[in-house]
Amino acid sequence: LAPGPLPNQDIDVKNLESLEKYHSYKRYFRQAQEAHNKPVWWHTYRKYVEKANPQVDIGFPLEQPNRTKQVKERKQVMKENKKNMELERAARLWEQTSGPHHIRRLAEHYGIYKDLFPNAFFLPIIPLKVHYGQNSSVHYGNILTPTEAETAPQISFEAEEGTLWTLLLTEHLLDGEAEYVHWMGNIPAGAVQSGDELCHYLPPFPPRGTGFHRYIFVLFKQNGPIDFRDNARPSPHSLEERTFKTVEWYKKHQEHMTPAGLAFFQSQWDASVTHTFHHTLMKEPVFEFIRPPVYHPPQVKFPHRQPLRYLDRYRDGQPHTYGIY
Amino acid sequence: MALSVITRNVWVLLGHIQRRAFQQSARCVSQAASKAEPAVEENEAVNPTFVNRNPRNLEQMSLAVKDRGWKTIWPHKEFYHRLVFSRTQHHVTAEVFSSSSLDPVLTCSTKEWALKRELPSTNCVAACQAVGEVLAQRCKQAGITRMVYRAIPWSYRSDAVQSFRKSMKDRGIILSEPRRKYIGT
Repeated sequence: LAPGPLPNQDIDVKNLESLEKYHSYKRYFRQAQEAHNKPVWWHTYRKYVEKANPQVDIGFPLEQPNRTKQVKERKQVMKENKKNMELERAARLWEQTSGPHHIRRLAEHYGIYKDLFPNAFFLPIIPLKVHYGQNSSVHYGNILTPTEAETAPQISFEAEEGTLWTLLLTEHLLDGEAEYVHWMGNIPAGAVQSGDELCHYLPPFPPRGTGFHRYIFVLFKQNGPIDFRDNARPSPHSLEERTFKTVEWYKKHQEHMTPAGLAFFQSQWDASVTHTFHHTLMKEPVFEFIRPPVYHPPQVKFPHRQPLRYLDRYRDGQPHTYGIY
Repeated sequence: MALSVITRNVWVLLGHIQRRAFQQSARCVSQAASKAEPAVEENEAVNPTFVNRNPRNLEQMSLAVKDRGWKTIWPHKEFYHRLVFSRTQHHVTAEVFSSSSLDPVLTCSTKEWALKRELPSTNCVAACQAVGEVLAQRCKQAGITRMVYRAIPWSYRSDAVQSFRKSMKDRGIILSEPRRKYIGT
């Protein structure tokens, strides 16, 4: 007795000639992919891994113009294109149409929403451009060196006159604490230099041996001028004063600002990180990777074809290595 | 003066703290970080274990687990990111999937208005090449430069797939993945 229909239950095995044939590999492959992604009633690894936490949208709603009109206009443009056979790229158009959705997908893949705002996400509709000098710029998951990111970047974004913005640069480290390295509040439209700098720029310092760290720029749009004086950190700083939780800070100012832009990059250890550590913070720590223990299945009374050292694996109350993953 | 004092301290510390270990908590997920600083000495005390919560960290260091096995079926699942290129009657789509997600991480298709506007025809060889170039640029901006691409054997030899592959490789995407680092490697 099965709690649901078994696969291929309704195929008549005695009359196989009457079945509809595929006639092409592509048709079969597409159907196989759809069947692979369909939800089923039996237990799968995918269901075990998926977490169904409800997600809340805290950003701005997307403005969609009338779809039928849009389709008509686009069809006309395409007709004209067919007469004119030249090819160009338009990155600006991507930023306005499908850019936010792509950036949101990547941010979910990098676990940014999970770490900064648990159970919430936002659509980054304002394209945020961050440039470290001439060559390096920050997109969505770029790899930059700390040498390139030593000085404060130039930031630009489109904004209407009279609006106020907040920019935040975090490096999420611990289970609930983010370390913020640069923060500006009450930025009038377009001119980042004239905002109140609440914490000056500290270059990224991923410690040696720990691999790649993510550094996230978030842009918030403010409804009006907000008082950030209780969050202002004076110029001589220490790491302790710099740690803060994005969730709590955002909950405090939730009604007055909405996240609207996102950009993030990754970086690894570099010689300039040593320099940053010595001059600003402390002695430099060096880390090494710990591998998980080698897997051994539960012990069996009559092990088949195992060497004599099989007993050494379970001797003296050692912690078992099955079920820890 | 102060500088020489600091550098001397640093050498001593490196001698002592050569092997601070950080643990991997689960199979494919990155390591956790605990870098709390008690108020004993300002900024001096570091927690011995550090957990890095970047999900892409382990695969970029080629330490993450790849889904081995699956050798009796095609396609195999031993990768960190895979590239899928499909041509339908009217459009051309290229997607990058990771080993752990159902939804694609990056896509580029001629269905997007940004591309559709520029191309005269959305299912020709030039469209495949354009899709390849745009996807390569997006992948480089997203930090995913190594992925596995296994095409269906009889369509691999066609001009469209070859031009797509060529444009991806010319823009700097490497279509193979680094071998995983085991103990002793």
